[in-house]
Amino acid sequence: MQPFAYARPATLADAFALLDEHGPDACLLAGGTDVVVGLRNRTLRPEMVIDLKQVAELQPAISEEGSWLTITATTALAGIDEDQRIHARFPALIEAAATVGSAQIRNRATLTGNICHASPAADTAPALLAYGARVNVASARGTRRVDLDEFFVGPGKTVLQRGELVTAIDLPIAAERRGAAFARITRRRGVDLATISICCVVESAGRTVLAYGAVGPRPFMVADESGLLADPAARDGAKDEVLRQLLTKASPISDVRGSREYREAMLLVMSRRALRASLERLRAA
Amino acid sequence: MIGTSQPRAGGLARVTGRQQFIADINLDHTLHVKLVHLDCGHARIVAIDTAAASEVYGVVAILTAADLPQPVPRFGPVHDDRPILAVGETKYHGQPVAAVAAETKEAAEAAAELVRVEYEALPGVYTVAAALDPDAPLVLEPGLRPDDPLRHSNVLRELNYGWGDVEAAKADLVVENSYAFPMVTHFAIEPHAFIAAPDDGGVVIWTATQNPFQTQRIIARVLGLPLARVRVIAPDPGGAFGGKQHPKYEPLVALLALRTGRPVRLLLTLEETFQEVRRTSCEIHVRTGFQADGTISFQDIQSDFLLGAYADVAERVITKANYLACGPYRVPDARITVRALLSHTTPSTAFRGFGTPQVSWAHESQLDDAARRLGLDRVDIRLRNLARKGEAFVPGDTPCDGDWAESVRKAAGAIEWGSPIAAGRGRGLAVAIKASATTGASYSIVRLHWDGSATVLAGTSDMGQGARTVLAQVAAHELGIPIDSIKVVMGDTAAVPFDLQTSASRSTVFMGQAVARACRDINAQLRQMAADLGLVANVSVVELLRARFSEVRGEVIGVGSYRSEHQPGHPLGGSPSFYEFSCTASEVEVDEGTGEILLVRHVTVADVGKALNPQHVEMQDEGAAVMGLGHTLMEHILLDDSGRIRNLGALDYRIPTTKDLPLEMLALVVENADGPGPYGSKGAGEGGLMATAPAVASAVTEATGVVIRDLPLTPERVWRAIQSRDL
Repeated sequence: MQPFAYARPATLADAFALLDEHGPDACLLAGGTDVVVGLRNRTLRPEMVIDLKQVAELQPAISEEGSWLTITATTALAGIDEDQRIHARFPALIEAAATVGSAQIRNRATLTGNICHASPAADTAPALLAYGARVNVASARGTRRVDLDEFFVGPGKTVLQRGELVTAIDLPIAAERRGAAFARITRRRGVDLATISICCVVESAGRTVLAYGAVGPRPFMVADESGLLADPAARDGAKDEVLRQLLTKASPISDVRGSREYREAMLLVMSRRALRASLERLRAA
Repeated sequence: MIGTSQPRAGGLARVTGRQQFIADINLDHTLHVKLVHLDCGHARIVAIDTAAASEVYGVVAILTAADLPQPVPRFGPVHDDRPILAVGETKYHGQPVAAVAAETKEAAEAAAELVRVEYEALPGVYTVAAALDPDAPLVLEPGLRPDDPLRHSNVLRELNYGWGDVEAAKADLVVENSYAFPMVTHFAIEPHAFIAAPDDGGVVIWTATQNPFQTQRIIARVLGLPLARVRVIAPDPGGAFGGKQHPKYEPLVALLALRTGRPVRLLLTLEETFQEVRRTSCEIHVRTGFQADGTISFQDIQSDFLLGAYADVAERVITKANYLACGPYRVPDARITVRALLSHTTPSTAFRGFGTPQVSWAHESQLDDAARRLGLDRVDIRLRNLARKGEAFVPGDTPCDGDWAESVRKAAGAIEWGSPIAAGRGRGLAVAIKASATTGASYSIVRLHWDGSATVLAGTSDMGQGARTVLAQVAAHELGIPIDSIKVVMGDTAAVPFDLQTSASRSTVFMGQAVARACRDINAQLRQMAADLGLVANVSVVELLRARFSEVRGEVIGVGSYRSEHQPGHPLGGSPSFYEFSCTASEVEVDEGTGEILLVRHVTVADVGKALNPQHVEMQDEGAAVMGLGHTLMEHILLDDSGRIRNLGALDYRIPTTKDLPLEMLALVVENADGPGPYGSKGAGEGGLMATAPAVASAVTEATGVVIRDLPLTPERVWRAIQSRDL
């Protein structure tokens, strides 16, 4: 680990001042489960680590305002799992969050950190994408909201500019019934990075959203507006045609977790399964 | 006492993090060492510039090969081939070219990054095929083995075993296949760690080793010191599995300590540990002849084992494992031809099972293949061919020393062999046999104190297998005193008498007997003492000691040893003391869409002669089974074209977690008191992983119809096999 300065600002204003001062030499820390690994491996070499855990405005909280559920930046994944509103309305996010690391990791790791790390394989990203999440970005110069689908740029890269940080993630509360499922392929059942991950959300009006991780430079989403995927009467072959068309957006590579060929095959297999599970849950809802 | 599940000595300290490991030992004025390596497998070192590194505040010494005695000392358990630091070239990814010693860990790390190494990447030998290519670069300099006719090749050794006449053997069916076994690493939770300090004209070394006496011998030779001036302290390792059997960086830290006159410590990272130890990978080509009823007619085995850049103990692994390459079966005609090949990869070394998982993968899969072709039951074909007790299944050597069929029947019963099975599921059963320790010696001193408590001195290492507990049980039983009044002292060559090593499941038999004999020596002295004092025969030990040592105190010292001598001309140097026989049965469910395997039930049966501590045996067998599931389902070291490990580290090298365990696990034993150890015991603890792969693979075949002869059975590999089936 290379020596670095450490600051624990008490307010957002203090955090912005530090970010503005240190710019790219600063590194934000919330749960620290990615940052500390990077520091120890010397892949991260910041001069300043800004710990956000004591920032008053970012304290762990999940709140409901109008048609949005807001999750603050320091809310740990374990906190997501403890929230009954998320269990009721965003069950696939619960499923996705439960796959991140181990119980010990989830006590520390934050939902916002999982997104800001911008790993193509971020487990919560497909669920957040499929549910239509947006990201609250703030800096000394003001605030802005970014759709999550526009937030990711590439591996480890987001649209965040110098001086900006994420204060919260918003999830839209849908009025209509939905069925959703998260699934992934891993090399083992215990803690693992995804070979592919998928989240499917079927809306009662017939729209189906599918979001994927680990099969491209960034997590992405696609939608079937035709209603065919959501149609219980549609033939499997017809659904496969639609899925294949949607999956042309995927661009998996070969790495130590799996080959491109296997990932491509699993995209279809797991899409079918997630769709089937989502439809069953919609029917049961 | 014997046959009871006494709680594991040190178990609580291990699981609560209170046990003292090497990394927890802090000596004053210690220097911290960081190694410098290249991001490359095989490279020629052109120049090393340490100027910038030596400017780092806190740096005290930087060593390269040029700073070492010339020629650079080389060492190894069998061949003295491994230099203290790379000389002229690196031969595997991670071989250190320099070592930095500094006042702090951070300074050492920062300086290590500033050591500038100019190097030229060279073509390397990373596979069996590459090693055998006549144009391949030579891994071992011919000058290091001038009298060896193989010196101009990458073949370290060729072995030929066999009996009968394979060419003349008659068979109704010949099954011919090739099998591959991957490189896997030990993944002990405690990475390798070393501390050395100057000590009274010699050196003291703290190292997490299974073999303090060999480390002592090698350090003494490298430094030119008498054994008595080299003290090796080996605190209980945090897992070892064979990977901590032979010296790695002990000579380097010892030299650094003597050069600087200060204690030095080197803690390898997990990644560096992965680069130091692995299991020997191999490719096995087998022709097996059968009669129509399933009786084996012949085995014709040709294998290539891929060693690393230095021989370490891998030659012994290959020698011992292939000696029993036909398994525990009656084979009338056998021919076993083996090549041990050097490569530019991590040195392969001892690893739980010692080559047996590799050879059993082939001989067991062959039996399954024959059973399928002949329409025979896979358990029946094994029972038909298994050696019976007393039968010399390797002509002229230690005969079968157990009722092996009993183990097979027990495993078959536990997996409900033959009962109806759900679609998508399958069962498999496999056996394996390992030659235990051949030659060797263990000594113990037991001190019975005047208050009736006892100190047992034993050079065994307890790396988690429970030797402390079992040896205490033996002493408690023999001396007739409570186990909690016994202290077992291990791991200090200045305090405990010689033990060859903790390996080959030998400690219960060899050291167990030495401790029992030391206690019996005490008991004989006590009887004499009682007679001398004119005391009645049934006087208690404590009363006797009080009567004898009332005023000036004192103690009774017992000495015991157990030796198995070298047998000249024997291919292994001596006959196996016993065989470790194991049977594994598994039921799996295969997801044909993804290739994922779910283990529904997994059974191991170990023929242990006598379980001195049944819970310890069960834990060892369960642990071994889970470790076996690692190389069966997910573990393999992946190399890129330049010999770099692609999945270096815990994130990308996967081992089973609690969530990967079979839904149901059973670890059963067979006890017929037919072993050479105390109370009829045999060694245990390796068997559970020896037949995992063939048992699980056979179950996958029953579930899917596909036969896979490469490991591990990753979801992708199983999926690909299913795709080929469906073409």
